[in-house]
Amino acid sequence: MSKYIVKRIAQSLLVLLGVSIIVFLIMRVFSPDPAPVVLGEHATEDSMKAWRDANGLNDPIPVQYWTFLTGALRGDLGTSYYTHSTVASEIASRFPATIELALVAIIIASAAGIALGVVSAVHKGTAIDATSMVLALVGVSMPIFWLGILLIILFAGMWHILPSGGRVDPLLQPTGGSGLYIIDTLFSGNFAALGNVLQHLILPALALSMYSMAIITRMTRSSMLDTLNEDYVRTARAKGLREKKVTKHHALRNAMLPVTTVIGLQLGSLLGGAVLTETVFAWPGIGKFTVECILKSDFPVVQGVVLLIGVIFVVINLVVDIIYAYLDPRIKYSKEEA
Amino acid sequence: MDSLKPVVSRRKFVEIFGAVSAMGATSMFVSGCGSTSSGSATDTITFGQGADPRGLDPAYVDDGESAKIMCNIYETLLCYDKSSCDIKPCLAKEYKISDDGLTYTLTLEQGVKFHDGTDFNAAAVKKSIERQLEPNRNDDMPYASFVFGTASKGDGVKTVEATDDHTVTITLAAASTPFLKNLAMVLASPIVSPTALDKNNGNLNEAPCGTGPYSFVSWSKGQNVVLKANDSYWNSDKKAKTKNVIFKFISENASRVTALNNGECDIIDGIDDTVVDTIKNAGNSLFDEDGMNINYMAYNTTSSIFSDVNARRAFSKAVDVATLVKSLYGDYASAATSVMPLWMAPYDKDVAQVAYDADAAKKELAALNITQVKCITYSNPRPYNTKGGQVLAEAIQGMLDKVGVKVNIDTYDWTTYKTKVQTEAYDICFYGWTGDNGDPDNFMNLLADSNVSMNVARYDNSAYKALIAEGLATPEGDARNDIYLQCEKMVADQAVWLPISHSKDLAGYNPKVKDFVIHPTGVVWLWGATKSA
Repeated sequence: MSKYIVKRIAQSLLVLLGVSIIVFLIMRVFSPDPAPVVLGEHATEDSMKAWRDANGLNDPIPVQYWTFLTGALRGDLGTSYYTHSTVASEIASRFPATIELALVAIIIASAAGIALGVVSAVHKGTAIDATSMVLALVGVSMPIFWLGILLIILFAGMWHILPSGGRVDPLLQPTGGSGLYIIDTLFSGNFAALGNVLQHLILPALALSMYSMAIITRMTRSSMLDTLNEDYVRTARAKGLREKKVTKHHALRNAMLPVTTVIGLQLGSLLGGAVLTETVFAWPGIGKFTVECILKSDFPVVQGVVLLIGVIFVVINLVVDIIYAYLDPRIKYSKEEA
Repeated sequence: MDSLKPVVSRRKFVEIFGAVSAMGATSMFVSGCGSTSSGSATDTITFGQGADPRGLDPAYVDDGESAKIMCNIYETLLCYDKSSCDIKPCLAKEYKISDDGLTYTLTLEQGVKFHDGTDFNAAAVKKSIERQLEPNRNDDMPYASFVFGTASKGDGVKTVEATDDHTVTITLAAASTPFLKNLAMVLASPIVSPTALDKNNGNLNEAPCGTGPYSFVSWSKGQNVVLKANDSYWNSDKKAKTKNVIFKFISENASRVTALNNGECDIIDGIDDTVVDTIKNAGNSLFDEDGMNINYMAYNTTSSIFSDVNARRAFSKAVDVATLVKSLYGDYASAATSVMPLWMAPYDKDVAQVAYDADAAKKELAALNITQVKCITYSNPRPYNTKGGQVLAEAIQGMLDKVGVKVNIDTYDWTTYKTKVQTEAYDICFYGWTGDNGDPDNFMNLLADSNVSMNVARYDNSAYKALIAEGLATPEGDARNDIYLQCEKMVADQAVWLPISHSKDLAGYNPKVKDFVIHPTGVVWLWGATKSA
């Protein structure tokens, strides 16, 4: 197992190196010159040239990449061209918002998706099954930004019962801590702020969870249908176990393996930032911010964020593989299998 | 797998995961309903804008989103009148200009303190300005050269002296009438705390400290900036009437409108005519006033087609500007008859652009053998063109099609476009300008600038440049107005631009909020604003 993990980590580092080269080249080759954006309307040719020199943009691309790579290895991702803040601080100020939204969305998606999938499989061919599958189809098909706007119009615009966007009322904003407002408000015992944070989370989390919920529902149903036809399930029934116990302890546990993988991948994708959800709900996460930085050709920030997202994907994939092995005692990490 | 000893059993793991998921989902739905927000409290005014400020140090920013916040935190030596760009005293209670226009002597207010308790005095003014002069100036100070000039190139501030504790003497390298108005700008000009500068390595982007009616509390990136009333503010006329001011960042226009209608924001800006009815139907009000801007089409005066003034005039005749503006912008922009808006330069009422005459255009363009032109434009909405450059270019393409000219349009996002206007070969392009300081030089100088990203028509006329140089040094008054009127007439006669529209500044607001000021320069003064229950 430990050899397998070491090998996977080595593979992951190679993947990250590849990601860094690709994003670096894409930004340098396809993005417009950042100088006019950074220096503004009154920039002159001379001032733009001086700025490019000062920021190393006139160096050969391999030299620029080496500077970036060695900096990144030292933990220095550079400074935003546009705001003059360090990339690390820009990411740190926005990433907790993305984590919180992604975690809550994946919890909703998992809870609802697994429940719907199990019910659907157990009642295969009935109206319940058909309703669940229609719901899953709607979840997969419905554009998130459209759903988001619909939720805002209904809950904020028409009924005025939930805020339309943001993370918390600015005057109740928790200070310090982890940046995960649910945890910060819970630990500080500030329940008024906690309620306000949850109110702000409901709509974006619901909108964001719909797609993942649909995928998890379909995967759970299909996996459950497979396991419900297995010999050991028939045996369990033949032994006289109650159907509820058969479903819960024999079928669901085994059906969870592919579902776990899907949940992991969905979480990885959500942690990469949900651009549309963040835009519609004015959610201050990393996805919307990255798009803004791409449009401003803010190379250091884009490179830093993409590298971070690469790390997240790689780590989550690794963790999912380990959990997968943990959940399935049949998996052995012999040399051949690894 | 043997090496991995389970801390919890597999069954327990699945159960715990399920339970946590269910709890999470449930808590989301049972958390209290009812939209509570600071937007409903009378001691807090929330302003919704489209983006974060770039920063909060006036020396390091160039964007309107920063300016709207900074104008409530910082003050300038002189300031603008509420509804015009006329100059009034502020931190400098009076000023004198020498006869040669080179020396400005400013007498400062006494007893003023920065938010950190530092005394405001001549030394603070000197430090605020000198950090933006050569050799201290750096390339990341986007407005330093515009406001304070570049002495080594023969213009702008040569020296700043603290004559005594409350008198500052600024000496210019060359006389410059707009300098007075520059001193009232929110970009570059505000006086910052010297103590705060020392404490923050000379950059106050995240720790702003001025003398204004509001002081900085916090900036949550991507969310909001919170300000609170400065209780020890020096000027009773401008003392903050509302305890807290929040600037909330909501990038999506529709979401910003919903936030206003849901009571989460009291004022929002950056809106266009498509949401006006939604705002009004929800019981909110609309602020609309003529903006200080121009939306135009420029001819590339160095292109093989449009280096000929007759070709430019013939092309302009094919465009029915009045109909175009009405159909694209409705009541929220006026058709431009001059480069500067008439409210800013009333003497421009006598300027006339090439009149619309499609039949004449068709004949003249055919005689000149003009059958197609290359056009570049931008895709994004801009403050002076809320529909975006592509929509505008396509409308003009349709009009030219009727007179037998094919317009080939290449569209770019704004960032790319700014480079393309410098590097691409084009016959016509679309651009615009939002005024910085209300001075005519700020508009008319665009056509004398050697920088092609400013002078996209690449107009190079020595007589015009001489007029601009004369206007720069001529004191305000009829003689100066006459110079800029001549400039306007020259631009119209030569058909260098096709001026299209001056857009209105639009904002939606809760009618319970009174006395906020949206200034023609685009900044928002909130110190006089109140909100009733």
